[in-house]
Amino acid sequence: MSIFRSRSAQAAVVAVTAGALALTGCGGGSGKSKDNSKQKKDAAAQAVSVQLGDAKASTGPAEPVPGAKPGGTMKVYNATDFSHLDPGQIYVSDAGMLGKLLFRGLTTNKENEKGNQTVVGDLATDSGTTTDGGKTWKYTLKDGVKDEKGHVIDSADVRHTIERMYDTYITDGPSYIQQWLSGSGTSYRKAYAGPSKGKHLPDSVLETPDKKTVIFKFKEAKPDLPQALAMVGYNIVPKATDTKKKYDKAPVALGPYKIADYKPGKSMKLVKNPNWDPKTDAMRHAYVDGFDIEFNHNDDDQTKTILADRGEAKDAVMFTGQVSTTQLRKVLGDSAAMKRTIQGYAPYVWQLNFNLDRVKDKKLRDAISYAMPADAVFKADGGAYGGEVANNLLSPTTPGYDDAFDPFNRKSKPNGDIAKAKKLVEEAGAKGKKVVFAHGSEQNRQEQAVLIENALKKIGLSPQKKQIDSATFYEQVGKVKNDYDIYLTGWGQDWASASTVIPPVYDGTQIQDGASNYSHINDKHVNAEIVRIQKITDPKDAAKAWGELNEYIITKVNPASPVYNSKVFQIAGSNVGGLRYSTTTSYTDVTRVYLKK
Amino acid sequence: MLRFLLRRTLGASLILLLISAFTFFMFFAIPQDPAMLACGKNCTPDALAIIHKNLGLDDPVPVQYWNFLIGIFQGRDFAVGHCSAPCFGVSFRTDEMVWDTIVDRFPTTLSLTIGGLVVFLFVGLGTGLLAAAKRGTWLDKGFSSASLVLSSMQIYFLGPVCLGLFVYSTGWLDKPKYVPFTDDAAAWFMGLLIPWVVMSVIFTANYTRMSRSTMIEQLQEEHVRAARAKGMPKRYVFFRYAWRGSLIPIVTILGMDISALLGGGMVTELTFGLSGIGRLAIDSVNFKDLPLTMGVMLVSAAFIIVCNIIVDALYAVIDPRVRLS
Amino acid sequence: MTSPIEIKGTETPVLDKAPDPKAAPEEKKLEGRSPGQLMWRRFKRDKAGVISACIVVFFFVVAAAAPLIAKVYGKNPYTLYAQDDPTLFDEFNFPAGANGGISGDFWFGIEPKLGRDVFTQLIYGMRTSLYTALLATLLMVLTGVLIGIVGGYMGGKVDYWLGRITDFLLAFPSQLFFVASMPVITTIFVAPDEATPTYVKACAIMGVLWFLGWMGLARLIRAVTLSLREREFVEAAKVAGASPWRIIRKELLPNLVTPILVQGTYMLPSTILSVAFLSFVGVGYDATTPDWGRMFATGSDIYEQDPTFMLFPGVAMVVFVVAFNLLGDSVRDAFDPKTGR
Repeated sequence: MSIFRSRSAQAAVVAVTAGALALTGCGGGSGKSKDNSKQKKDAAAQAVSVQLGDAKASTGPAEPVPGAKPGGTMKVYNATDFSHLDPGQIYVSDAGMLGKLLFRGLTTNKENEKGNQTVVGDLATDSGTTTDGGKTWKYTLKDGVKDEKGHVIDSADVRHTIERMYDTYITDGPSYIQQWLSGSGTSYRKAYAGPSKGKHLPDSVLETPDKKTVIFKFKEAKPDLPQALAMVGYNIVPKATDTKKKYDKAPVALGPYKIADYKPGKSMKLVKNPNWDPKTDAMRHAYVDGFDIEFNHNDDDQTKTILADRGEAKDAVMFTGQVSTTQLRKVLGDSAAMKRTIQGYAPYVWQLNFNLDRVKDKKLRDAISYAMPADAVFKADGGAYGGEVANNLLSPTTPGYDDAFDPFNRKSKPNGDIAKAKKLVEEAGAKGKKVVFAHGSEQNRQEQAVLIENALKKIGLSPQKKQIDSATFYEQVGKVKNDYDIYLTGWGQDWASASTVIPPVYDGTQIQDGASNYSHINDKHVNAEIVRIQKITDPKDAAKAWGELNEYIITKVNPASPVYNSKVFQIAGSNVGGLRYSTTTSYTDVTRVYLKK
Repeated sequence: MLRFLLRRTLGASLILLLISAFTFFMFFAIPQDPAMLACGKNCTPDALAIIHKNLGLDDPVPVQYWNFLIGIFQGRDFAVGHCSAPCFGVSFRTDEMVWDTIVDRFPTTLSLTIGGLVVFLFVGLGTGLLAAAKRGTWLDKGFSSASLVLSSMQIYFLGPVCLGLFVYSTGWLDKPKYVPFTDDAAAWFMGLLIPWVVMSVIFTANYTRMSRSTMIEQLQEEHVRAARAKGMPKRYVFFRYAWRGSLIPIVTILGMDISALLGGGMVTELTFGLSGIGRLAIDSVNFKDLPLTMGVMLVSAAFIIVCNIIVDALYAVIDPRVRLS
Repeated sequence: MTSPIEIKGTETPVLDKAPDPKAAPEEKKLEGRSPGQLMWRRFKRDKAGVISACIVVFFFVVAAAAPLIAKVYGKNPYTLYAQDDPTLFDEFNFPAGANGGISGDFWFGIEPKLGRDVFTQLIYGMRTSLYTALLATLLMVLTGVLIGIVGGYMGGKVDYWLGRITDFLLAFPSQLFFVASMPVITTIFVAPDEATPTYVKACAIMGVLWFLGWMGLARLIRAVTLSLREREFVEAAKVAGASPWRIIRKELLPNLVTPILVQGTYMLPSTILSVAFLSFVGVGYDATTPDWGRMFATGSDIYEQDPTFMLFPGVAMVVFVVAFNLLGDSVRDAFDPKTGR
């Protein structure tokens, strides 16, 4: 998933729908030792692939959280409003977290206390059954799951949910299933125009033989369907109450909560959805009576407020907020406060994209890659607890990641190899060359820009910084014909497979305005390999192949310089219980929190 | 009085019209397609065209402006629904009616600015008068120097410091928050106390100095001296003659400070995480959300104009030589 | 949008009264001193005024000589010293040394996160802020005086329309307008593949501040001009056949020096704060340009972690604004001894 607006802007970070990262133990360090943050090995050591749950695992109610008690209203501070409320449009993680409370899909991710994920049936009785290795998937719906209006969800609603993803007003949601069913890239939109034109997807693709059964039929094996269906983007939109474009303002809830009051850009109040039956839900708890979400509080504000732990802040959790860089020392030095924190390794890799249409000389790209002051750059975005130097373009949380693969000597020279870079610049004859560097407008991005500019100057280039408003940063650099040479973007897996990283970011056939191939890499070998590897059904073989492709991309093409992997460090009020890092959303698990008093 | 109001309303409408035109055409100087924003990640040329049509961006700019103006009086129909008069359009980004959003946010800003105004007028004029009355004493010196130091402060500097002192470290007060006055007057007051104080500090200082100096000037005027010489009580002369005279320049400055007050409100909102017009304005500019920017501009301008009409009416009350026309 | 207020009598709602023009020639006969000399004599006697003038001059000299000072001191405000010497930082990218990293090398410490030198940042930042504000204030004063005099002296239609323009601009929510117009200006003037040069930024900032900053002064000058116009000496000059330009230059301007100077000295500090405001809301100078206002804002965010970083810019700002305000008071007193202190 792309990181739409940067985390440091505390804006929406894109959804991690699944992540095989499992952590040794979340909770927190003592604050005494030098660096207690999560390390690569924490993420990599447990890159266990996701389990598929059977009918038993999919049966509710969810296993109770020890010590949890019901009641109270949870306070949430967030920097910005949610980018979308229509589940079909949700691909970013703040809305993704909200989605876990409001919506339900055919499947969902259940986590154990170690963070290991199991895909279980949510509305379906299990995570899906296939008899032909993943070409055909069959789902049976549970009995009596109702939406907030009391309507019982049937297979027509599931069909509608998939079909509406083809409609033109759905612009931001995931497109995996549409592409698998009807064609890659954006060609699926040509194959079928969506239900508002009156037609349905043919039975040869999506079949709903009765009210309880849904069958997906793919041309090729798609073993990842259960994971894809667990994305909030594919959560159910009941057909009768779908208001299309307006749905993004007032969606119909299936989950434990519904929206009681929403003031865009200001606040949102969630109350319990009386039609949600815990017996049908294997994953969610609903201990608190509601959530009171307030926007316009930046990380610094959130951290200070929650750390001070007074009044309603005692009941507060962060959604996508982070302990701010400036408050880190204070939080770490406060052992009582540290007990209220959670940490986790997020799957995002921040990379400095080269616009290959403009920066054509690979030597120059290599030079810039070597020069990256990766260590300083990530520290400007959350200090030691905000990230870690990235060795290559895959995250340690992604199967196929090889820690030893370190083409730019990040391990030995975390702050860049200026001498080597300088030599490369001279070899390329690019001394004094203008390099247009686009960066976001928030404080952290500005500071990172200063650091990178400094390094580029040192190696003899003439960096031209262009500040782009963070609100529209990804739209601007997402244009194919943009005027920038380099820009820092972040991407993380949608579930634990490099197939949710390499194809969206490095597939040359996907280049178009707004696509996440920000480098515009269009390499024949890479394109062919992507097609080949996507057909490999064995996860281990696939992971190995993706890992090899990753090496090829960096060493032979170098479309982007790896800079840092991001980490998550959040704090909650003292009255909040059940705190746990969710590997699914990569933030606090909001489905299990409760208030102690 | 009626003629005055009528004339001023007419003038105000003209000014608002000019401001709206100015803002509208300035916005289109930005070489960026606002539809891109609404189009999202998987934007196709077709989708973009549809959004263009829905937002009315296909029309020539003057036509768009005309539609905007008509909408204010007649209401308009949009893809997301009918927008009844006064219709300032629909936000490009959230699809919310601009007017509804502003109506929702305005009370915060109003509470903030009016509250701040009351605080700094009371404190500023009060200390100024006291300093003038006790001219030359330690009290006078104390007020004068304090006002000097405070006038060099900034909201975004004092805000975090006050939060740190009174909220985060000591916990004497809760974090500032807007609660509607009609819901809970006490919570409204307590929630806005720190913002009011912080915001009024920079204004207070100016008003202390100004009211002190004009008061001293007034006390030396012939008519004031004559009144004293005739044996009128000191207090009576002080308030009845001198104070009244000293208010005139202060009211003039106040009229011109109204827009600064709104700006102060903007910084205060950002500093304390309050959601009012100022935050809305900055968001709308960042998101290139023209209808929202227009709405906020016009409502703020109208606010400034109304405040100025009130200020001018106050002239007549304070200074009998002034006729309203 | 305020309509001209009709006031009976010659009293105008003016904060600072013009010197009595008749008094000057009289004194000239006795003592042979010009009003300027008188003002200077009175000013010299005012200790607070002299001290604050010295402070203000000191600040301007430091700002002007910033590159020189930096050269002698051996650092510059752009180098990221902590990048070259990681020991300067702790693991949070805060200065490792005590007191914000103050040392013999870094007199005022180093900047958290980026590791630039605070001392040179401050003097260059002062340079940025003072120059921007000074130029903007000059522009505002020039425009205000011009429009005020023309309106007040010409009267009639010209005055009416100038008054309407003033009203129109006064109704603009100024800060809002700054925020809305800054991005427009920079996108119009800067090529898409080039960094916004600092001078363009500076011009844009000065431009928007000027655009909505001159109206107060214009009104004041207009009011004073209106009352002066009726005075005998102006009438006399008219009768003698002086051209309007000569009357404005020789008769009106000298009498307007006081309000212009006094208002000017009040406007400069507030303009400095406006420049800082623009940085605060993210449309002013960016992190590359040393900027006093931004240092101040950053300092207040991290004052618990690194109080030193707030101390120097903060103290400098307070001292400067206080000194400038005191100077304004002294100038006014010196011009017009009637006004009490």
